Formats: sequence, structure tokens, C-alpha cells
Amino acid sequence: MSMVEVVDLTKRFGGFTANDKISLSVEEQEIKCIVGENGAGKSTLMNMLYGLLQPTSGKILIRGKEVQMSSPIDAIAKGIGMVHQHFKLVPSLTVYENILLGVEIKKGKTPFVDQRTEIKKVRELIDRYHFELDPLDKIEDISVGGRQRVEILKMLYRNVDILILDEPTAVLTPQEVDDLMVSLKNLKKQGKTIIVITHKLREVMELSDSVTVIKKGKVVGHVKTKDTSETELAQMMVGRNVVLTVSSERKGPVSKDIIYEVKDLCTINESGKEMVSDLSFRVHKGEILGIAGVEGNGQSELVKLMTGLMESTKGTITFLGKDITNQWPAQLRREGIGIIPEDRYAQGLCSDMSISDNCIAGYHGNPDVCKKGIFNQKAICAKRDNLIDEFDIRLGDVNGQIGCLSGGNAQKIIVARELSADPKLLIACQPTRGVDIGSIESIHKHILKFRDEGNAVILISCELSEILSLSDNMIVMYKGKISGRVSQSEVETESIGLLMAGIQPGGKEAVHE
Amino acid sequence: MNKKESIIRNILNSILPIFLAFVIGGVVIACIGENPMETYWILLKKSFLSSTGFMNTLHYASPLILTGLAIAVTFKADLYNMGVEGQMLFGGFFAGIAGAYITGMNPFLHKFICFAAGVLCGMAFALIPALLKAKCRVNEMVVTLMLNYAMAKALEFLSTGFFRDLGSGYVATPTIKESAMFSRFGRSRLTMFFVIAVIVLIIMYVVMKKSKLGYEITAIGKNPEFAEATGMNVAKKTIILMLLSGALAGLAGAGYMMSEQFKYTLNFSGTPGLGWDGMLIALLGGHSPGGILIAAIFYAALKTGSDNINMYTNVPKEIVALIQGLIILFLAVKFISERMDLKGRRLHNGTDQ
Amino acid sequence: MELINNILYDTIYHSTPIILCVIGGMFAYKANVLNIALEGMMLNGAFISTLVMFFTGNLPLAVFLAILTTLVYGLVFSFMGITCKGNVIVVGLAINLIVPAIAGFVMKMMETANINLKNVNITKYKINIPLIKDIPIIGSILSGHPPITYLAFIGIAIFAVLMYKTRFGIYVRVVGENEDSARSIGIKTDFYKYAAVLIGAFCCALAGVNLSVERLGLYTNDMTAGRGFIAIAAIYCGQGEPVLSSLYAILFGVARSLAVNLSIYAGPAAGLFDIIPYIIMVAVLAAVSIVKHKNVKVRGFKC
Repeated sequence: MSMVEVVDLTKRFGGFTANDKISLSVEEQEIKCIVGENGAGKSTLMNMLYGLLQPTSGKILIRGKEVQMSSPIDAIAKGIGMVHQHFKLVPSLTVYENILLGVEIKKGKTPFVDQRTEIKKVRELIDRYHFELDPLDKIEDISVGGRQRVEILKMLYRNVDILILDEPTAVLTPQEVDDLMVSLKNLKKQGKTIIVITHKLREVMELSDSVTVIKKGKVVGHVKTKDTSETELAQMMVGRNVVLTVSSERKGPVSKDIIYEVKDLCTINESGKEMVSDLSFRVHKGEILGIAGVEGNGQSELVKLMTGLMESTKGTITFLGKDITNQWPAQLRREGIGIIPEDRYAQGLCSDMSISDNCIAGYHGNPDVCKKGIFNQKAICAKRDNLIDEFDIRLGDVNGQIGCLSGGNAQKIIVARELSADPKLLIACQPTRGVDIGSIESIHKHILKFRDEGNAVILISCELSEILSLSDNMIVMYKGKISGRVSQSEVETESIGLLMAGIQPGGKEAVHE
Repeated sequence: MNKKESIIRNILNSILPIFLAFVIGGVVIACIGENPMETYWILLKKSFLSSTGFMNTLHYASPLILTGLAIAVTFKADLYNMGVEGQMLFGGFFAGIAGAYITGMNPFLHKFICFAAGVLCGMAFALIPALLKAKCRVNEMVVTLMLNYAMAKALEFLSTGFFRDLGSGYVATPTIKESAMFSRFGRSRLTMFFVIAVIVLIIMYVVMKKSKLGYEITAIGKNPEFAEATGMNVAKKTIILMLLSGALAGLAGAGYMMSEQFKYTLNFSGTPGLGWDGMLIALLGGHSPGGILIAAIFYAALKTGSDNINMYTNVPKEIVALIQGLIILFLAVKFISERMDLKGRRLHNGTDQ
Repeated sequence: MELINNILYDTIYHSTPIILCVIGGMFAYKANVLNIALEGMMLNGAFISTLVMFFTGNLPLAVFLAILTTLVYGLVFSFMGITCKGNVIVVGLAINLIVPAIAGFVMKMMETANINLKNVNITKYKINIPLIKDIPIIGSILSGHPPITYLAFIGIAIFAVLMYKTRFGIYVRVVGENEDSARSIGIKTDFYKYAAVLIGAFCCALAGVNLSVERLGLYTNDMTAGRGFIAIAAIYCGQGEPVLSSLYAILFGVARSLAVNLSIYAGPAAGLFDIIPYIIMVAVLAAVSIVKHKNVKVRGFKC
């Protein structure tokens, strides 16, 4: 009898199937890793195990008995604990206060917290699992690795037998990763069952007993770790079916003229950690440069740097020979750079404004729609109708608001708007995320046409197949640096997958900290 | 959700609180033994139903249109400029100084200079919270609230000291010269200032609806991240917006000085103050310029009516201030939420997943 | 010497109402509910206590009713702002307008411009602590204040304990810092928000009593003069931390005390001293904000 078993588990959100008849089982005192690309459905699966989501159909069995969990409190009662990727800790409270949140020990019947007993209990717990924490430290003062251990302890304090960790090493330094792996192996020895969601194949090989690979909501396969290899896992994750919906055949070799150059670019996040480190790359005229990588390796920050939404601490960006480092978005657009932002509803469109207002956003000062600060309503409507025709945007009410459009059509508006301004370079970030197949094809066609006219494209995407089908050359980002540069002709999907995991083909570490 | 439904909902959202507030006010009036309907009738009669009364109402509405506008404009961008009161006082004060100390001028030019003084002062005072917000991300609400008091005290200092009119029995600055005073229309108190206020209202309408600035302000209020990503430099626009608001407030103060008060006293702005009245007006009618006009007139009617209530009944005029407070209280809750249509069904956003 | 004595005494005198508002209001701050009605609540405390004293001369009753009515305002605020999800800033403003309106209304009915407690001897409220009052210099500074003043300073310690050492305080902070977390543990967030606001109401009521009855024996409609907002600024500057925020409150008290005491020497310019505390608060707000955002490289802002 397995510790955890999931049978034909399915989760649908409206018309979208996140998990499609997933079946897997985890044995007692086993460490199982669930791997897959972004959006594959791993988190959805785990959220159902933890009571945060209810399955649409299928069963969950714990120790052979079917269970229904309507909230995390139920899950904990059944012995399942989860450590999320984004910690649910309270920064100004101490370690022991966070661990005992909700289950405080009180002094008899007074409202006062029995701090001494709480601290003692937490110390015992820390020592038992060799976690090296000081119960009196405030969360805001300890490292990310430490915070993660607090999250784990939170679960252990509540006596869970099954521990789920969601992308635990995503935010850790290599040393902290090693420490975590030691701790997890220790926990396993002490009788716990562990499920880890991750992309990091090296860690999968080192840590787990078995692996389940999930792709696009379905299980691709189950393997025993000792029977497989990183290469095989990468292949299963990314798959050979790269859907080439458009022909990206080039009309000639890539030009030698450099249109855009980034040199030694660096920036930091709020805690002072470097998110982009000494990044350098070049883009040529008539080239599509793809930037691949697992989300969270600095791509968001890089895009923000390139689109004027973030300031760099070091380095330069040059466009057509001109230094445009740290220029603001308005200036960038004037220079001739079109931007498809990462999050279309947060940065690309304003859902509460009309379609015509969105069609001119970013270019609303241009003389064709605006004279001396006053808008020419007719010209705006004409422009909007033009864009709708040219880019085949489907909508119900042309006077309506953006909120009524599907994701694909909303994205097409952004693409239409940026391309119609005749830029020389297009920065396209996750251009087809959450978009239907028809619109994907349309957007890809427009990007290729743009390139064929002699312009350049920087394509950032977590969808590897998109990068592979469109790019002339590729760079792979890992932990804020470039782990590899590849041209389309020499690419193999397996090696890209490894590069995304920070491993150079041949097994060496691609990126040294 | 189409435009017509949206307008109906806006109107209902404004009328329901007013109705409720009047009902509660009526209960209070009844408790002290007076007749609420009679009281309200006097209110109505004196402010609307006589021509002098109506023109007086318009007169008192003039500064309110501008202060309401000053706040409404910042609300659009999700900013809370609570300093309209202080900016207005500052503008009014120096308009009064310009009016009193500059002599022998052409009336048209004199008034223009007074207005200019008012506008510049209002802008200058609004610059402080504007810069703090744009450069240091300081919450503009707390800053402007405190600066109001600082300004009131500073002006008190100036008017009891350097600029004091020693001939007057109470604390006041010298009365402004005739060339700076607005002359009245007929037997009412109405002046050109009302016309000026309405013209400014119309100009602001055009700016908000049809100009690039108005577009950007609306975008900033609805989605600041989008605004920044599409090149509207949010920090810069915030400063411009606050300056605009300060200018309008200063204009209100200057005009009020020149059409009604003629000198700065410690009670220049009345209770609770034209700035706070502007808050009410912005909340009631801020979603459209017509709304602001109507709200200003309505509120001015309450105010002029309150003086009459005092004269003809035993009800203290503070009842109006109470009603004002209640209206604001009920306005805080949008009775008909934006997420539901008029029949109470929930609306959904269009997303793929 | 006499002057410094007076300055220090007056500092305590002027800081008290603000300190009370600060220690009451910081719970709402920590719970992420912006309560700008502190001003109105304090005014109500002053009004009701003076009114009741005027009619009955019964101080405990006056204090009790002041607290009760202010708690009612607190409930209204919480209901409109938390349960009805109204705009808390507007609700706070409304209360700030309603309180003086009601007070003005009642005073008009009483046909008086302010409520003057001529029959009450306020000096009898000043507590002269037996031993302390004889200590040479400090004695005259520390002794001779009305009871609520002492309560205020003791309150700083009590409320610090409440905030940091009881489960209640912990939960209030969790609700404010990470509401999702709180809910996922099963904490009733609305309850803690209500409680935070009501504590503020309680303390502001006491502040009002101190301001009017205990110190002046008088009520006028603009007594509070922005003290409630100063308290808010102090809370922001001190980031809701009891001792630090109270220090900022005392800073204001110092400035006011200087203004009052040095006015004889400075002549007309003394009025300017009143402006200094406001300016200082603004400067500190700016400094705190700058430090908080020093590593932020992202442009644009969501407030």
C-alpha cells in the first residue's frame, strides 16, 4: 500500500485542463520528484494534495484510504504538509512565533503566550532535525535558506508524515541547496515521505528515489532514479514534438550588422541580491534572438531593464550605435523599439479602458492621433479599425472594453499596436502565453514577417518549443547569467534543457557562482 | 456594462446617500421638536426658489466648483490631495495681499494679478507633497493633512503680525482695493467669479476627456504599472497633477477673496472649510463635470440655506454640517458596486484561463 | 531654570493626548487599516466628557460616556470600512466632520459658543505624587499631572506588551502583514481589525478627556487642532512601533512646549514655533521612505 496515491486526478478551470487524468503513487519513506516545464501542471497537482484546490474528478488516497480535503487544515490533519515556493511567513515575527502561528501555547488560561515553553519546543525540533536555526531570530533577518527551513519546521511541528516542497531550490544558493538535500535525506531517514516539485535535474538525480515527468497536464512517465539519467529526463520534459506551425526558413544568412548590444549588464532586487549578473549579448539586423530559460532566472529583470522599467547598477545597452542605457519607455519607443510586455493585463493593456484607448497606448503622443495635446478622435478610431483588420482581431463590440476580449485577441492588439509603429527592434516577452492556437500562429507569422523585412527581434519565452521554432540564435539564461549560446542549426532540445538547468552538455556546471 | 447603465448607477450612488442623510437629519430635527419638512422647505425655498436666493447659491458655489475640481482631478489618478484647504488658503491670502497693497491699477489687470498670485501660491504649496511623492514615494495624504495645519498657523502668524490691518477690530489683513473686488450682479451676491469658475470647469473637462494629459491621468489611476510601461512617466505626471490641483485650489481661494471675503480673517474658509467641502463635491459629482457643477450648487444651497434655517426656525445651522458628514459617510460605500450590474448579477472579466 | 522646568513640564503636558492616540492607533496601523478618524474620535472624547461634566459634575461618568460614545464611532467606522468594504479614508473623514457638527449643534442648542466648566476646579485633578514631588528638579516636572497623563506613559509599556507578547498582538500583526497567511491558519481577520480600531477609539477618547476636562476645563470645536493627524504621522514615522512612535509624539510635544514658553521672548515670531513640529514630521516621513526604498531599482510605483 502506497503512502500517497492519486488516481485519474483531473482539474479543469473553465475550458482549460490543468491536470488530465494524472495517476501516480508515492511509497512510504520515499523521495519522489515531480518534474516538468512551466505550466505543465505540477503546482496544480500539489495544490490539490494540500487542500488548496478541489479536483474536478479523480481520487486521492492516503495510506490506502480515499480522502477529501477542503482546506490546508484538513490536509495537515491527514498528515500532509506543504512548503510553498512563496513563503507564507510573517517577516517581523521570530522563527518560533511563525512556527507556532495558530497553535500558540498559552500560560494557563491567561492571554499571555508562554514564550519560554514555545522557544524550548522549537529548539528541540531544530535539534532533532539538525536544522541550525535560532528560534529568536526574526524572519526578516535570516537568509532565504533559513526561511525555507522555518517553513519546513512549521509542517514538522504539526507532525506531518508527508512533506511536499514546491520548487524548493529555486531561490537558494548552491551551498543552501546542498544543505537542504542533506536535511531532506535526513527527514527521509526519520520516517517522512517527501515529494519535491522541481526543474533542477541535477538535484533530482542526487536526491530522489523516483521521478514522475509531467507535460501539459499529463503524465509522460514514471521512472526509478537509478534507472534513468539527466539526459533522458530532459528529453521527456521537453519532448521531441516541437510543433513547427510556421516555416521559419530564412531567406539568407543573418546579417553581420549589430543592431542592439548589451554589455556587462547588472541589476539587483529589493534585498540587494543580484538578479542579472554581467550579462552580454548582441543582436544583428534581420535576426531573431531567443532567450530561453526557466522562469525566475533573471529574465523578468532583464526584460524590465531592456524596456526601461528597471534601472541597472552596471553595464550598457546600445541600439543602432546609440547608448540607450536606462532610458525610459517613452524614449525607447521613440528610438524605434517596440515592446510586447511580459504581463499583458498588468503592463500591456488597461482592462478598464476602451479598445481604441488601448490601441494608441505608448504612442498616444504621436502626431497622427494627437495634435498639440488634444486627441483626434476620428484618427484614433481609424487607427483602431486598421489594426483590427490587419491583424485579424476578433471582438464582439468595437466600442467595448478590453476585458471582453479573449487572451489571444488581447495579445494581438498589443502586437498590432507595437508593430504598426514601424520599430526596428521588437522585444517580445512571453508573446504567446495563455493564447489560443490560432492566435499563436498569427502572432508567430507577424514576428517572422517583421524579421524578414530586415528588422530584429529579441524573443524571451519559457515555452521552449516557441524559441526553438522561431529563433535564429539562442542564449540560455540561468541564475542571472548566460549559461550557453546556441545557433539554430546546432541545437538539440536535450542540450537546451540541460542548459536551462544549468548544466553544460558533457555534465559540467555551466554557470559558476 | 454599457455607458447608460454606468451613468444610472453613478446617479443612484450619489442620490441614495443624500437621501439617507436627509432622513437621519430629519429625525434629529424632529427630536428637538422642530418640523423637518418645514426646515427642509425653507432650505429649498431660500436657495432655489427666489431669484436672489438662487443667484446667491450660484455665488457660493463658485469656489466650491474649483475646490471640488481640484480634488476630483487627483482622485482620477488615485491620489489623495488633502491639502486643497491649505493650498486654497495660501492662494487666497496672497491674492488678498496683492489686492490690498498694489494700488492704482486697472481693475482687469489687478484682478488678473491677484488670480496669478493665488494660482502660483497654490502650486508652490502643492509642490512639496508632489515632490515627496514622486521622488521619495511618501504617502501624500498624511503630508498634505499636516501641511494644512502648518499653513493655517503660518497664515495666522502673518495676519496677526506683519500683514495685520491695525484698524480692524479683529484679526484681519487689510481690505483689498476696489479695483480687485468683483462687482455684483444686481441685488444678489453673484459675481463674474462664477462665470470664471464655470469656464475653468469646461476647460478641465476638455483636458480630462480629450487631451493627452487627461488620458494619461486616467491610465495612471486605473493601472499605474501599465501607465509606466507605456511610457507615461508616472512620477512626472504625478507632480504635474498635484501642481494642477494646487493651482485650482489657489484659484478658488483667490476668487473667493475677491468676490466675497475681501480680506483674510481667521475664519476665511468657514467651517469645515472650502477644501473639505470640495472633498464632498468631488465624491458626489467627481465622475463628470456636470456632476461637479450640480454637486457644488447643491452644496452651496445647503450652506446658504443653513443661514436661513437659523433665522426662521430654532434648528441650529450645524444640522447642515451634520448632513454633510453623513453624506460623506454613506458615500464611502458604493451602494451599487461596480462588480454587479443593476440587477445584482455578478459580472465577469474576459480571460482565457 | 524655571524656564527649562516649564518647558519640560509642558512637554509632558502637550505630548500626552498624542501619545494616547499613537498607542491606540498603532494597532490599526499594524492591522493595515488606515484610521484617520483619530482626530474626530479624540474630539468626541473631549466633547462628551466636557458635556457630561457640565451637566452632572461626575467625572467617572463623564469618562465612561466619552469612551462609550467613541467606541460607537469606532464600530461605525469598522462596519463601514471593513465589513462593507467602504473606502476607509472617506469613512474616517466623514467621522471627522460629523463629530464637530454634532458638537456645534448641541452647543447651539445650549446657546453657548463653548462649554466652560466654571464650576469644576481642575487643579484638583492634578496628582501630586507624595515622594517624587519633593525631588529637586525632576519632581516638579514629573509630579502634578492629571491621572490620564500618567496613564498615557504607562500605557506605552502596557500596549507594547500587548502588541508583542500576547497572542492577540501577534495575530493583529499577522493580519496586517500577510492577510492570506492569517486566513489560511484560520484567523478571523475581520475580528482583529475591528478590535484594532476599537482600541484606537478607546485611547482617543481618553486623549480627548485629557485634552479638555483634565487640562483646561473647557471645550471648543477646534480643540484638537490636528493632533490626531500628528499622531498618524508619528505612527508612520515610527512604523507602528510603540516606543519609537511615542518618541515622535514627544517630539511634537517639545515643539509645542517651546512655542508656548518662548513666546514671551520671541515676540510675534513665537507663532512660528507651532509650525516646526509639522515640518519635522514631514521631513522624517521623507527620510523613512527614502531608506525603505533604497534598493528598489524598479521604476513606477504602486502605492
